[in-house]
Amino acid sequence: MKKPGEQRIGIQDLARPCDRLVSLDPADLMPLPPPYDEPRPLAELSAEQRERIEASLDGVVAVAIPKPASLEEEQAFIRRFLSGLEKLFTRENNWTFLQPLLHTLDYCVKCQICNDSCPAYVASGKKEIYRPTYRPEVLRRIINRYIKKEGGLRSRLTGSTIELNFTLLARLCELAYRCTLCRRCAQVCPLGIDNALVSREIRKLFSQEMGIAAKEIHEQGTVQQLRVGSTTGITPKALANIIAFMEDDIEEKTGRRISIPVDKEGADALLVHNAGEFLAWPENPEAFAILFDAMGLNWTLSSELAGYDAVNYGIWYDDVQAARVAVRHAEAARRLKVKKIYVGECGHSHKALLVIADRILTGDLNIPRESFLPVLESMVLSGKIRLDPSRNNFPVTLHDPCNMVRLMGIVEPQRRILRAVCPDFREMEPHGVDNYCCGGGSGFAIMQSMNFPDWRNTISGRMKLKQVLETFADMPGPETKKYVCAPCSNCKGLLRDLIDYHGAWEKSGIFYGGLVELVVNAMADLKKPYIEWEWH
Amino acid sequence: MSSFLLVLTYGAYLFIIVMYTAKAIKYVRLPRHLRWELYPVMHEARYRYGGSYFEDMDWRERPRRKGWRRGALFLLTEYLTLGSYFRRHLSYWLPLYLWHVGFMLIIAFHVCTFFTALAMRLGLPVGAGSPSFAGAVLYYAVLLMGVVSFASGLLGSIGVCLKRLSNADLGPYATPQNYLTYLFCLTMFGSGLYAWHFVDPTFAEYRRFWLGLITGRPVMVAPAAALHIVLFDLFLIYLPFTRSMHYITRIFAFFLIRWDDEPNLRGSRLEAQLLAQFGQRVTWAGPHIESGGTWADQVKR
Repeated sequence: MKKPGEQRIGIQDLARPCDRLVSLDPADLMPLPPPYDEPRPLAELSAEQRERIEASLDGVVAVAIPKPASLEEEQAFIRRFLSGLEKLFTRENNWTFLQPLLHTLDYCVKCQICNDSCPAYVASGKKEIYRPTYRPEVLRRIINRYIKKEGGLRSRLTGSTIELNFTLLARLCELAYRCTLCRRCAQVCPLGIDNALVSREIRKLFSQEMGIAAKEIHEQGTVQQLRVGSTTGITPKALANIIAFMEDDIEEKTGRRISIPVDKEGADALLVHNAGEFLAWPENPEAFAILFDAMGLNWTLSSELAGYDAVNYGIWYDDVQAARVAVRHAEAARRLKVKKIYVGECGHSHKALLVIADRILTGDLNIPRESFLPVLESMVLSGKIRLDPSRNNFPVTLHDPCNMVRLMGIVEPQRRILRAVCPDFREMEPHGVDNYCCGGGSGFAIMQSMNFPDWRNTISGRMKLKQVLETFADMPGPETKKYVCAPCSNCKGLLRDLIDYHGAWEKSGIFYGGLVELVVNAMADLKKPYIEWEWH
Repeated sequence: MSSFLLVLTYGAYLFIIVMYTAKAIKYVRLPRHLRWELYPVMHEARYRYGGSYFEDMDWRERPRRKGWRRGALFLLTEYLTLGSYFRRHLSYWLPLYLWHVGFMLIIAFHVCTFFTALAMRLGLPVGAGSPSFAGAVLYYAVLLMGVVSFASGLLGSIGVCLKRLSNADLGPYATPQNYLTYLFCLTMFGSGLYAWHFVDPTFAEYRRFWLGLITGRPVMVAPAAALHIVLFDLFLIYLPFTRSMHYITRIFAFFLIRWDDEPNLRGSRLEAQLLAQFGQRVTWAGPHIESGGTWADQVKR
């Protein structure tokens, strides 16, 4: 929203050199209820950082593109971008998304009814650059001018007089990393326009043509996963140690010794977790092991390369990397000769393996893949495990991961489970397919570059924090512990950082965790509570 | 002049049909993309809350029914009401709705006028006092649709233009072409309203012109009516150069993208389609990509 005396940012302004195009004044942001209403400025980059890398969009850096040292370098940068832009519209290079991309670029009428559905735009105080239609309009005008070669009267009619320079392109790349790809904007569009997809396609162009991407999702993400086996750096050998630790931990917590099956050939199901769970929240894969063991399922984990890390960061920025990772996952399952793959509590892995990979995996790599949620629901509702809901006698709300819900239509199983095991389950508003992103979507939860975490915790996660606070508004103090159930690793990561950044554990007693932990916590024959309410 | 009108009208209709058909064919022939659906998917049994077959265990083994009727009804309702705008931006909805009613009814007006001319050619008397019920219905249908279309389209053109100019969200994203379109619409609808009010209050001129069109005999019409016909013809020629085809492409977008949840099963036609696409060569130049290799080659790396 424009403040009095402030110049409105136009489409062409993205190319205008200046120290900072948009200032993120904390006073402008969407208000939060007390005691979360104290303005807190975002961390500033150092003068050296600002000198070295392009940070003039909003003073925040996600990608860190170095500034060109000469005019020749700048020209080369522009040429590479234009080369990539042309490829984005060829069948051979972009059969993967050509139809949806062309639809959005050719038929958006810029009616702006998608704006208020974007949590980042609204939370930022409606900063123009975060408007869902802003990036696509910039790209559209570049295409008109440089790809369709519109000139003269035609370019004036379409407003496509934009001039390309390094500043514009570097800002556009950064801007593609200010959208969580939650696709709430697409959902409300009556014409089927998908402005979030444009963010993804811009990321793709920069990655697939220029090798530029946020390092946490490319170098430390897909590249590392394909080389080492996991984006976390966990090697197959390290995994064996972790599994041993988990078995000890389960025994300590439950008094039972469970042998977690690894690389069991011919098992009915291969369970794949986001490997971040093994490091940050081992209680989650442990809970799976407890439940699967209690149900007598014939299952296994994999220690194959990439077989123990279900993540696929490629779906956020690079089709080639996405395809490579998906194939690795399927190969691990094929080698084990399992009948199907169950995806654990990770939203984007669900979408990657069940939806995106569905048109990548063919022949014997096309192994049936399912969400853990219907399986867990059948366990809970079957009555085979004795459950005592009173063990979960604390307020619980459910965060819907966008990937599982709006983008896959898995809406009710998790609710039926929660209704069965949590007496004080309460919905956030809005929820289900209308949910708000946690703010960590599309890789934001794992991106730690410079001051990007501040942007994430202040802007992209702001709507979710507000929603959580409103859900528990009847018991605002820390004396009542509350549980935000997020059946997704990345959402949990974001919630952890968000709660920590805003002090919501200390101020309001807000805790977070997965879904299976709540089920195990309700198991009647466990001697002590499974959920330990220890902040980590 | 009468021959010119006849040729221009034939040409305009032919042009828009050819252009729209070509665009539609180009659209539907684009390669099968990766799945990118959004829920609710209207043909799903659980569409009311946005549920999908992924909520079921062993969903591949269960029968799945996929129809198009519910989706078509959803889109038709949206066409007729612009309900999304009504719910989310009421002050924009009003002029937008008037504008779109203008478009919908002007199409209906021309279709009705065509059938009226056809009826006249077959000897059916058309008029307010026609002894034939069908002749009277056609007369009033043309009259009603024409007048409401022109009035609604005129008011809508002015309203949408003013809204674009005055609204802080809409204005900065409007291009000169948007305003040119509004102006064109305003002139076209306005000329129709003028011709009806001052020259042709029963659309008799228009019916005669259409009779000439279907018999191939040029007919002289009053200058005001001729002006409207010329403007409407030019409008038809102009439309393919705007985003107006969203009326049609939105159907494709919903059925081919947003609600496309067809699973890829082994041995299916979809799988064969995908395998053919995997054989295409990639020329992306990123350092991690094997430029020149096929998509299938990329995953072997």
